[in-house]
Amino acid sequence: MTHPVQAEPSPYAVDLTGCTKEFATPGGGSYFAVRDIDLKVEPGRFVSIVGPTGSGKSTILNMAAGLLSPTSGTVKSFGTRIDGVNRRASYMFQQDALLPWKSVIDNVSLGLTMAGVSKADAYSESRRWLEKVGMKNFADRYPHQLSGGMRKRTAVAQAWIVNPDILLMDEPFSALDVQTRQIMENELLQLWGESGKAVVFITHDLDEAIALSDEVIILGAGPGSTVVGSYEITIPRPRDLLDIRDDPKFVELHREIWGRLKVEVSRTYASAQDEESDVA
Amino acid sequence: MTLAPAQPNASPAAQRRATKKRTEPSNFSIRMGQLALTVAVLGSWELLARAGIIDEFFFPLPSDILITVWEWVSTGYVFPHLWITMQEAVLAFFTGAAVGLILGFLLARVRILERLFDPFLKIFNALPRVVLAPIFLLWFGLGIWSKVAFGFTLVFFIVFFNTLEGVKSVDRVLVDNAKMLGATERQLLRHVFIPSALTWIFSSLHISVGFAITGAVVGEYLGASAGVGYAIAQAQGVFDTEGVFAGMFILMIVVLIIDILVNRVERHLLRWRPNQSG
Repeated sequence: MTHPVQAEPSPYAVDLTGCTKEFATPGGGSYFAVRDIDLKVEPGRFVSIVGPTGSGKSTILNMAAGLLSPTSGTVKSFGTRIDGVNRRASYMFQQDALLPWKSVIDNVSLGLTMAGVSKADAYSESRRWLEKVGMKNFADRYPHQLSGGMRKRTAVAQAWIVNPDILLMDEPFSALDVQTRQIMENELLQLWGESGKAVVFITHDLDEAIALSDEVIILGAGPGSTVVGSYEITIPRPRDLLDIRDDPKFVELHREIWGRLKVEVSRTYASAQDEESDVA
Repeated sequence: MTLAPAQPNASPAAQRRATKKRTEPSNFSIRMGQLALTVAVLGSWELLARAGIIDEFFFPLPSDILITVWEWVSTGYVFPHLWITMQEAVLAFFTGAAVGLILGFLLARVRILERLFDPFLKIFNALPRVVLAPIFLLWFGLGIWSKVAFGFTLVFFIVFFNTLEGVKSVDRVLVDNAKMLGATERQLLRHVFIPSALTWIFSSLHISVGFAITGAVVGEYLGASAGVGYAIAQAQGVFDTEGVFAGMFILMIVVLIIDILVNRVERHLLRWRPNQSG
């Protein structure tokens, strides 16, 4: 941690260079989850990663978070090499990650209390956030007493309260029904619009990716997948997600990106069928 | 040795609720049924023994057993014995549970220690613990410490294996989430691992409470100068089957009371669980 490094920070909030991740298989072999990933996300940008199943989307996110370290390549955040978890990032998981033994407000204030903020201050900040996500009347509930959408709102508050510079989101709304999902996406955009945070958003839903993002990155078929395309989404903001799917620009972009994604999806499907016939 | 406790979102609780709803027997009628069952079993035992169909020497009359229990209690004969047994059981329980918890957490979190100790723990766990009782008697004498040591070996392994399993089976996502929110190793332990392992630990505590008392009584039975196990051995020595049954009866009641207390604590600490706070 020398001065020159701090004086000239890299402009990227998330900066993966040539990252490859190899996993050992139970049989003693190994396989490449992702290969030669370059991913650069500037502060304040909303970037989505889309790819067929098994293309290593979560692996990339976990490397950016510091939960996994790449087999080769470097991961940096604001010019600093990531060693251990990335302290400037929050993570929203696909699964429920609220602690079931803590009430909603204790879950939301967890990041603050663990950082040494007094309980009173953490609680008043948590109340503010619970109000923002429409959960202020449920502060004393336990997670199992909430609906899926309410748990996601709590998770949003839990991730945002620590005021991270980066938000890593792994299909956070995939378990929700379509209507709830669109409402949550709208609210996410509103929160994000005024924040200047970098977002890396993983989804298998191209509609969602285009509607939310500044940039959509397409991953190839796995295993050993890599970035096969990157598309700038020029639809002006603010966007109204409930009507965006009729926007001609949206339709045009969707056609273009789907043309590329389709190739990878059918490749994944074909190799899955091959494997099946091998077994048979 | 690993008992799967009810998981936070698991369905058994829901199923239980569902069955309850379907058949809908009230608490009261269940209690009456239990009472009727008790009366029927004890009543027929009493009648069969009185009619001479079963031998009163081996199966003393329930009424006589109750009279003996009352004698032991009213004369205060049983209390010094009970006091000794309780001391042994409590000491065995707390030392066994404490060491089991600490080692369980330690080995679950430090992978290399688990691999190092694994075969030794398996070997000692495979050993039928009763054969240790005579050795402990030689090492620690006739007093309470040989029984504490014996009870310790029973309690320790149950708590240890359940804690180990409980900590290792913590949901990966919860750990990652807490880490991303800035948790240190100590905070992970406090906010994630301990609460998560509690369901496993409690299921082991229920059993280990019983084992702590088993350890004390079996130890006393094999060689002691006081304790309920000693009292039972004494009664057996003079072919006083009523005394043997009376001792059993008193132990039963004591274990039942302790189990109710453990249940209370469990319900309080695990109040976040769906089947208990719903």
